[in-house]
Amino acid sequence: MTDFLEQLRAGIGVEGSAQVAPDLVNIPMIRHWCEAMDEANPNFLDEEFAAAGPHGGIVSPPAMLNAWGMPGVRIKREEMGHPPPPPIESETERETYGSVLGLLDNAGYLGVVATNSEHIYHRYIRLGERVKGTQKLVDVSEEKQTALGIGHFVTTETEYQTTDGDPVGSMFFRILKFKPHTGRDASKEGAENAADSPAAPPAMRPKPSMNQDSQFFWQGAAAKELRIQKCNSCGRLQHPPGARCPACGSMDLGWKVATGRGTLYSHCQVHYPPLPAFGKPPIVGLVELEEGVRVLTNITDCAYSQISIGMDMQAWFYNDPQGFSLPLFRPARQPRRTETLLAGDISEGDPMPICPIPLTVTGIVATAIATRDYQDVHHDRDLAHQKGSKDIFMNILSSSGLASRYVSDWAGPDAIFKNLKIRLGAPNHPYDCMTMSGKVTEVKSSAASGADSGADSGGGQADGADVTVEFAGINSLGPHITGSATLYFPANPSR
Amino acid sequence: MPPKFARQVAIAGIGATEFSKDSRRTPMQLAVECCSLACEDAGLDPKEVDGMVVFSAENNPEIEVARNLGISELTHFSMVHHGGGAACGVIALAAQAIFSGAAKNVLCYRAFNERSWHRFGSGVQDRPTSAEAEVVSFSWSSPFGLVSPASWVAMFATRYMHEYGATSEDFGRVSVIDRAHAANNPAAYFYERPITLEDHQQSRMIVDPLRLLDCCQETDGGQALLVTSAEHARDLAQKPAVLSGAAQGASEDQHMMRSYYRDTISGIPEMGLCARQLWEMSGLNPDDIDVGIIYDHFTPLVLPQLEEFGFCERGEAKDFIADGNIALGGKLPINTHGGQLGEAYLHGMNGIAEGVRQIRGTSVNQVSGAENVLVTAGTAVPTSALMLSQDG
Repeated sequence: MTDFLEQLRAGIGVEGSAQVAPDLVNIPMIRHWCEAMDEANPNFLDEEFAAAGPHGGIVSPPAMLNAWGMPGVRIKREEMGHPPPPPIESETERETYGSVLGLLDNAGYLGVVATNSEHIYHRYIRLGERVKGTQKLVDVSEEKQTALGIGHFVTTETEYQTTDGDPVGSMFFRILKFKPHTGRDASKEGAENAADSPAAPPAMRPKPSMNQDSQFFWQGAAAKELRIQKCNSCGRLQHPPGARCPACGSMDLGWKVATGRGTLYSHCQVHYPPLPAFGKPPIVGLVELEEGVRVLTNITDCAYSQISIGMDMQAWFYNDPQGFSLPLFRPARQPRRTETLLAGDISEGDPMPICPIPLTVTGIVATAIATRDYQDVHHDRDLAHQKGSKDIFMNILSSSGLASRYVSDWAGPDAIFKNLKIRLGAPNHPYDCMTMSGKVTEVKSSAASGADSGADSGGGQADGADVTVEFAGINSLGPHITGSATLYFPANPSR
Repeated sequence: MPPKFARQVAIAGIGATEFSKDSRRTPMQLAVECCSLACEDAGLDPKEVDGMVVFSAENNPEIEVARNLGISELTHFSMVHHGGGAACGVIALAAQAIFSGAAKNVLCYRAFNERSWHRFGSGVQDRPTSAEAEVVSFSWSSPFGLVSPASWVAMFATRYMHEYGATSEDFGRVSVIDRAHAANNPAAYFYERPITLEDHQQSRMIVDPLRLLDCCQETDGGQALLVTSAEHARDLAQKPAVLSGAAQGASEDQHMMRSYYRDTISGIPEMGLCARQLWEMSGLNPDDIDVGIIYDHFTPLVLPQLEEFGFCERGEAKDFIADGNIALGGKLPINTHGGQLGEAYLHGMNGIAEGVRQIRGTSVNQVSGAENVLVTAGTAVPTSALMLSQDG
């Protein structure tokens, strides 16, 4: 073992002193988090609803477990002539985890990404409680070549309690500290830029041909309307458009603006011939509109492995640089389930609905801040570039939060998370879309959950089930998040 | 009322060039060569040819071929549209011309360098735009990357799999059988090169769910057929392959390979229309058919063809195939020349020639005592089909 690695590993196993969250679990921070995550479970904000539920009152979203104790913004005030902020880290923390990060920074491992987060929840944390966490360095890996760069994985474990000493959960957490611009793909960067040089004409989509019988469709697409030809005499819809209504014989044809909602009727993915305009092999879908006619289109914002015949689709409009627009479709987000699934409703192998999550600068910054993560790479593009990233990217607490929202939207508000384990891959950059999909992998009978099963969880309650789901969130670069969660579902309606 | 030309017309000559990936000569040379060979096979002087029916996709004009063959006068010349759907259609049209008296000896041919010149599989994405209806029709698919025949067929294949539980392996079995038959055929490009289902499953994706080994070849070559009256054929060099049926079909809401807007897309109604006509015209039924030359540009559409002709129930072709019915020795051996996956892709014309050989008793994979051979043309396009039978 090198001296450096020995130094890094010196603090393994040493338990730090407890980090006490600066704030009690409170509505404003929960609201901020829920808004950023688009989480609408009323157990987190609706007093009346929550009072009647399994927790007996408002609780913190479980995925916020480690957000409460995050250090918050550390503006370098001394650079602006102000005195530095008072330190909030304990001495022990600096000796172990903090010192490892400092050593790595000094050695040039300036880049940081979190790769794994595994939450275990003993119970949900109630409004007005305060969380404290005790962190322990578990491992520092040998130096490894990764896609991002040469670096070390640093693993910690944190036990969480309320300040009253009641254990509420724990977290296993791993980050990669790496040297920027030393990634496996670094050699390719030059080649990619060469391909973008103005000498190479950009590959373009095949252009549509139009005439008087079909131009309404293309004009509609440019105006963000999906227009379907309609017979002005008998009302029949037809696509592709024609010159005459085959049903009644009328030549008086107009159009109807379709809602853009439909279901997938068939699909394929074109690998050959190569179509460079599409970047990746395009997914072509045949979508049956709710108006009853089918349109051919591209299915976007998801991986081919995530789609299936019958799934709900929603149109959007793509503007091509050649000056035309196309109606394309992405999976439709399913509404949040308001009546919690019951144990008996769930079987192994059940699919979870696919859910696209558009990635925007605002979304990535808002969720980073809602999780009190002020690492510059999550909000400052200049510094993200300097640290070897092509843009800002989502922090792991937000990935965790979005995954929990995805699972919870499928499960219903009163299903109780027992754990949430995620692993990150390709980063979530802005101007992309992460699409979640998942399925039930295990259903196990379980006694009515100990996790705050209300005031009077007296005897005689039928067994519920502990259900494990596996999920993945895929963006245009590949899988961003893969993971699993185990939730308790009651046998009977809990409210 | 069945057309009266049933059993009145026959295919009297067949001729083909070698099937390769690079012919090293012009398609015109290929066309003239195969036409000469077909006349020679029939024992007919090319000067006696007075009719020519070709695909509208054919790039060797019939008058140019006629000039090269030394044909002085043509009294019938016509074309059939829609790519491989024309294969049996040109024979049907030739038969009608002969039966009506418009011509006596009609040549049908297809010749191209589809591998060494323009590759068919490379797609239509580079076609210029235009306001003409046929070009406009591509606007509903090409801008989305659906630009090749394989991609057009893939959309049907996915739906068929969904409705009937067919799998990639079910498609693969067609490929394995074609290649097994080609392995015995010295004229086949894939002579002595059979494949296993494992090979099929390992082959790369072209358009998911179609793998490379679900797709026909791209071929350089030419194939010609000489059609004449059954009566005249009896005086020529070869045993006549009599047309007991010939039909074309285009069905409701028909599009060129992209009829995606019908109530159901898991069948091939235009092939069903050909089937109804053939059964009526020939007076035969599925049990009478000894060999099937089933158009196989892409394996998935072989399955619904078997269903449209009533060899099995709808959705059951996968079981019919898995039970060994389409292999040599089965109930309906198909594509005994190796098909377009194994022998060559000549837009179905080489399959018609194989049908003639089965009637003559000269196939490399001869089905003994073959009385009736069904031949089908390109699927997903407006199509056609033939019934070839023993004379008398």
